[in-house]
Amino acid sequence: MASTITKAELEHLAKLARIELDPKEEEKLLKDLGAILDYFKELQELDTTNVAPMTGGTDLKNVFRGDTEHESTNRGAGVEAFPETKNGHLKIPPVFE
Amino acid sequence: MTPLHELTIKKFHEGLLNKEFSALEVAQAHFARIKEKDPEIKAYLSTAEESALREAEAVDLAIAREENIGDLAGVPMAVKDNILIKGLPATAASKILEHYVAAYDAGVIQKLKKEKMVFLGKANMDEFAMGASTENSAFGTTHNPHDLTRVPGGTSGGSTAAVAAHMAVAALGSDTGGSIRQPSSFCGTVGLKPTYGAVSRSGVIAMASSLDQVGPIAKTVADAAILFKAIAGHDPLDATSADHDYRDIANPDFERIKGLTIGLPEEYFIPGTDAAVSTSVEDAIENIKSLGLKFKKVSLPHTRYAIAAYYIVMPAEVSANLARYDGIRYGARVASATNLQEQYIKARGVGFGIEPKRRSILGAFVLSSGYYDAYYEKAQRVRQLIRQDFDEAFKAVDVLLTPTAPTPAFKIGEKADDPLAMYLCDIFTGPTSLAGLPAVSIPCKKTAGNLPVGFQLIGKRWHEADILGIGQYYEKL
Repeated sequence: MASTITKAELEHLAKLARIELDPKEEEKLLKDLGAILDYFKELQELDTTNVAPMTGGTDLKNVFRGDTEHESTNRGAGVEAFPETKNGHLKIPPVFE
Repeated sequence: MTPLHELTIKKFHEGLLNKEFSALEVAQAHFARIKEKDPEIKAYLSTAEESALREAEAVDLAIAREENIGDLAGVPMAVKDNILIKGLPATAASKILEHYVAAYDAGVIQKLKKEKMVFLGKANMDEFAMGASTENSAFGTTHNPHDLTRVPGGTSGGSTAAVAAHMAVAALGSDTGGSIRQPSSFCGTVGLKPTYGAVSRSGVIAMASSLDQVGPIAKTVADAAILFKAIAGHDPLDATSADHDYRDIANPDFERIKGLTIGLPEEYFIPGTDAAVSTSVEDAIENIKSLGLKFKKVSLPHTRYAIAAYYIVMPAEVSANLARYDGIRYGARVASATNLQEQYIKARGVGFGIEPKRRSILGAFVLSSGYYDAYYEKAQRVRQLIRQDFDEAFKAVDVLLTPTAPTPAFKIGEKADDPLAMYLCDIFTGPTSLAGLPAVSIPCKKTAGNLPVGFQLIGKRWHEADILGIGQYYEKL
């Protein structure tokens, strides 16, 4: 498996991650990600065919809460922290053009 | 008499009950200490003097009214800046949250407010808890109180530096791959990462949700046990949190502790570990042997794969958790953006430092079609093998002892440009995080050199009492 990432691939990933990179950051990340992916290669030597993936941190199963009304401790929280508001609601840029 | 800023939780509580000082005097002594020391250490991102003094006065009033108060009432503490305290800033040391003020209390803060603790301020950290040195903070590096040219470790470096420099009696940190334990080793504090699920994550700015845990940082193991007991337990707002009986955790039965067997995993005593670390940890092992505990050699054969697995699982979760910082609900609007897509991309480009960018992009990579099986799923399978290693070892022993970190505190700037070197700081702490086990870093009593060195005790799931019990026993020596 090739462990280098091309500039085009990095730009695609940055777009998927919704992150703007300046040319200097791009150069640094190309180099770093190459080294990091190289390091990941050692996992390939392990045979994991019959190992079930560990998909989280907890052993708890089916944690339910009662389907009842309750006062949320966080009710209304955050409205005053929004960058832009209108009548107590979050104001956002147009979604449809 | 001990200066007021050098008190432990236990001594503070005794002195408070004996009316040797008031809670207000101790809080004021801490702010005086912060004003004197913090300009050079930079452990705090913000302080909350007005509210803290009010909280302290309320404790003095309760005592005057002869109300019963708990062990933690009036104890002045620092809180890592990714844990929400209503009305105080919570920046996670990121520019994208620079002006964010918490609108509610984290689950752990709700519990500590019931205990009437005093919140001095919010402690510096690596941005979004990503790093191992606190150099990734968007608001400047914290300096190690033992040597100002060195890092305090990370990511809870502000919390451990505040406690080590006596600018707080204790602190809260968070640990995803070592972020409480490694800075505790570097600063000479006690730091516990609890079992995954022992402590609520509600109101904690998420980094990697299957790994993150909040835990105590303190001057003694006994103090860490008291603080842990107060924050542990189920919280309806965190479905992975659970109740366990930690009743005797601060009053261990040393006869039981003496009968425990400690395993020394061969994969953790390896060449490449700094000589000062090996010598100091050896000395701690000899001390614990002298207490009567038995030692056994064990093997955790998949240890060398842990960091690779960790640095796949964690960024995958980061890429999901950091998606919410988009300049819409958090962060600043970008005036030049002409549409929504551009708004997201620019706000995140300006708001995130290089490490959150690196991890978000790495996360997008390991989760993307064509790479998911080879990276993300593979890492989850390896994570299972690492967990099984521990389960197997715990059939033969009760607790594991290892160094906390391969080196003492390194110089500021030494690893800042080499992310892989920084990632390898987690080599002894990452595996326990993947397995969800409790682990504590405790300062070695005798160190080779001038810098603190910690050793790590790893327990079975929900067996914090074993590791903190041995720690309290060692501390009495």
